[in-house]
Amino acid sequence: MADTHKEWLKELETASKSKQKSFIDSISSKLGRPRPMEKPAHPFRGAPDFWRTFEWSEEERIERFGANFKAAGGHVARLASFDEAKQFIADKAAEMSAKYIIRQGQPELEAMNLEDAMPDARITVWNTDEEENWRARAAEADFGVVVADYAVAYTGSITVVSAANKGRSVSLLPTVLFAIIPVERLKTRLGEALINFDQAGRENLPAGIHFISGPSRSADIENDLTIGVHGPGVVYALFVG
Amino acid sequence: MSTASTKPGTVKERAGLALNDEFLRKAVKFTTERLRSGKKAASEEHGNWDDWRERGRQIRLHTIAHLDYYLNLFADNARANGVNVHFAETDVEAVKIALAIAERKQAKSVVKSKSMVTEELHLNHALEKIGVEAIETDLGEYIIQLAGETPSHIIIPAIHKNRYQIADLLSAEAGETLAPDTQILAGFVRKKLREKFLEADIGMTGCNFAIAETGSMVLFENEGNARMVSTVPKTQITLMGMERIIPSFEDLEVMATLLPRSATGQKLTVYMSGITGPRRTEDADGPDEMHIIIVDNGRSNQLGDPEFQELLNCIRCGACLNACPVYRHIGGHAYGGTYSGPIGAVLTPALKKDESQWDDIANASSLCGACYEACPVKIPLHDMLVYLRRRKVESGNGNLLESVGMKGFSTLLGGSKRMRGVIRLGQLGQKLVERDGGIRIKLGPLKGWNTYRVTPSLPKQSFRDRWSTIQKETQAEGATLDPALKARMEAVVAERKQGGGSSHGGHA
Repeated sequence: MADTHKEWLKELETASKSKQKSFIDSISSKLGRPRPMEKPAHPFRGAPDFWRTFEWSEEERIERFGANFKAAGGHVARLASFDEAKQFIADKAAEMSAKYIIRQGQPELEAMNLEDAMPDARITVWNTDEEENWRARAAEADFGVVVADYAVAYTGSITVVSAANKGRSVSLLPTVLFAIIPVERLKTRLGEALINFDQAGRENLPAGIHFISGPSRSADIENDLTIGVHGPGVVYALFVG
Repeated sequence: MSTASTKPGTVKERAGLALNDEFLRKAVKFTTERLRSGKKAASEEHGNWDDWRERGRQIRLHTIAHLDYYLNLFADNARANGVNVHFAETDVEAVKIALAIAERKQAKSVVKSKSMVTEELHLNHALEKIGVEAIETDLGEYIIQLAGETPSHIIIPAIHKNRYQIADLLSAEAGETLAPDTQILAGFVRKKLREKFLEADIGMTGCNFAIAETGSMVLFENEGNARMVSTVPKTQITLMGMERIIPSFEDLEVMATLLPRSATGQKLTVYMSGITGPRRTEDADGPDEMHIIIVDNGRSNQLGDPEFQELLNCIRCGACLNACPVYRHIGGHAYGGTYSGPIGAVLTPALKKDESQWDDIANASSLCGACYEACPVKIPLHDMLVYLRRRKVESGNGNLLESVGMKGFSTLLGGSKRMRGVIRLGQLGQKLVERDGGIRIKLGPLKGWNTYRVTPSLPKQSFRDRWSTIQKETQAEGATLDPALKARMEAVVAERKQGGGSSHGGHA
């Protein structure tokens, strides 16, 4: 019997590694050949060739993203600057009586200084105190504010990735989500965002990569569309620039 | 939670139950038609749909043909990411590993997002046996869990329940009466499950795709519960079918193009998440500990089998269910296994090596090929259904009565004189059972057919009786056939003889 949990996991790992060999060998034998040691040639990798050159202009990307995002039940606004975005969020907070806001610790949001425009709201910044239960803080928030890493016009999707200053919970647990998208991060195709993760390589990937294409939804009760089942029920995509 | 053991034995019996449930039939029809037209609109809008299907098929074929290489690569990379990887050859082994982790963690509750593999393993039941509460968090799955039932559709599991039934179930859980209003019911579930997410010790997920080159796992969903269970609890356990692999994120673009459009007609599900290992040391959320259990449970039986290897290409979209006239009529529970519809009719027996254990579900198909047409990775399911039937008969597990009946049929009808005699006999004999121009008797060989239909009575003058008259008439017409038309028809026939028709059944 293992003394500590770590030792127990180590035991499992040893068992798993020996099992891996027999498990994979059995696949090779069923496939009727020895296991390939070299990377097999994969001539059909990724999207068809005709798709790879497909690109919309910036204006069209914004327009198409908006149409897709709205069709999924999301909201879209185009703003000139982070300052305007700040005002937009402050106005919505007043309109919806939002009292508690959680935001990522991204440099763009530090510079935006949301706190300045909303003196009455309680604004916390993700992961600024080691002792805090950040999941619970995000769960009770009215608004979550994030800056998107990418966006995809063709599918109407916002991409956010996790880091020390970027919590996965901030785009998931609050009732309303605001995602600020610098226009230059808006791509035409899904593949233009995904290729970055292949290029970064395993060692450099974040724990969580999330594509968000509107408010949380379900049609599980009599096919009747329900918004905000588990994730945010109201989602704003705010283009800046 | 499995009710499979108390179910009647054959598809025919189970379908009898389903067919008598008016609501189920209407709901299944409504949903499948909505999903089907959604898929049609989405695939047409996207354009070049067959090129994308072909690309998806090629990626899946390539990966499965090199599954040993890619699965090994995935396991090594996931381990390098800090994931505890486990291999389970059987359902029993997979359950044993999951329970060992739950026991070690002294878990009181597990929150689960939708996973067909855990259904296959009856994992909830096993967890409850050791005193761990297993909570399904997908809205539809939560509802059917409260009802003590199993999913009837791969994408919309509670398709067979109406809002009044759901309000009753949720009211019992809430301890107060909830109005049968979708928003109110969903609002209750949101609040109730929020508490469960935050207090659960373990989050359990399935896996739509696993990326070999980075050791990442990918989840598609609309509600956000899969994100919840993989973000909030301290421990994550992912159950993954061994064939879920794709090589790269680039390949994920093709799967992300095919899967949501085929499943629900969406351009992308509301959430698509790529999870690469547990929480990084500096992160403030995500699981501290992550386990991936790679499950075989009969899947590898298909490897190296030319008739069934393509079955492993399936991306679990449910499009074949929505396209299938049989599924639309009898609903998912009639299939009696974890997977329903055409894919279930093939997969359920295929996962079992022993032919004698095969059910009669391979017969619950009209072999019309709508499933193949709908499949985003072009799996020839209708051919596989025929292979299954053939194998079952070859192994000596066919239907004895059917074989005897067919033999008798061929004896009786093998000669034209005997055929004429039989029809005569029928024309006379049916006078005993015919009413209103139809035969409704549910006895003998007509029992199965007449349970749901009316056999037309034999006409006073059969086609054979009329043949000589018809032949004379057509010959007279043939003489006046337009020579140009005749030449065209002859050309068509000649072309066909030269090996035309190769465009048929183009899945080879």
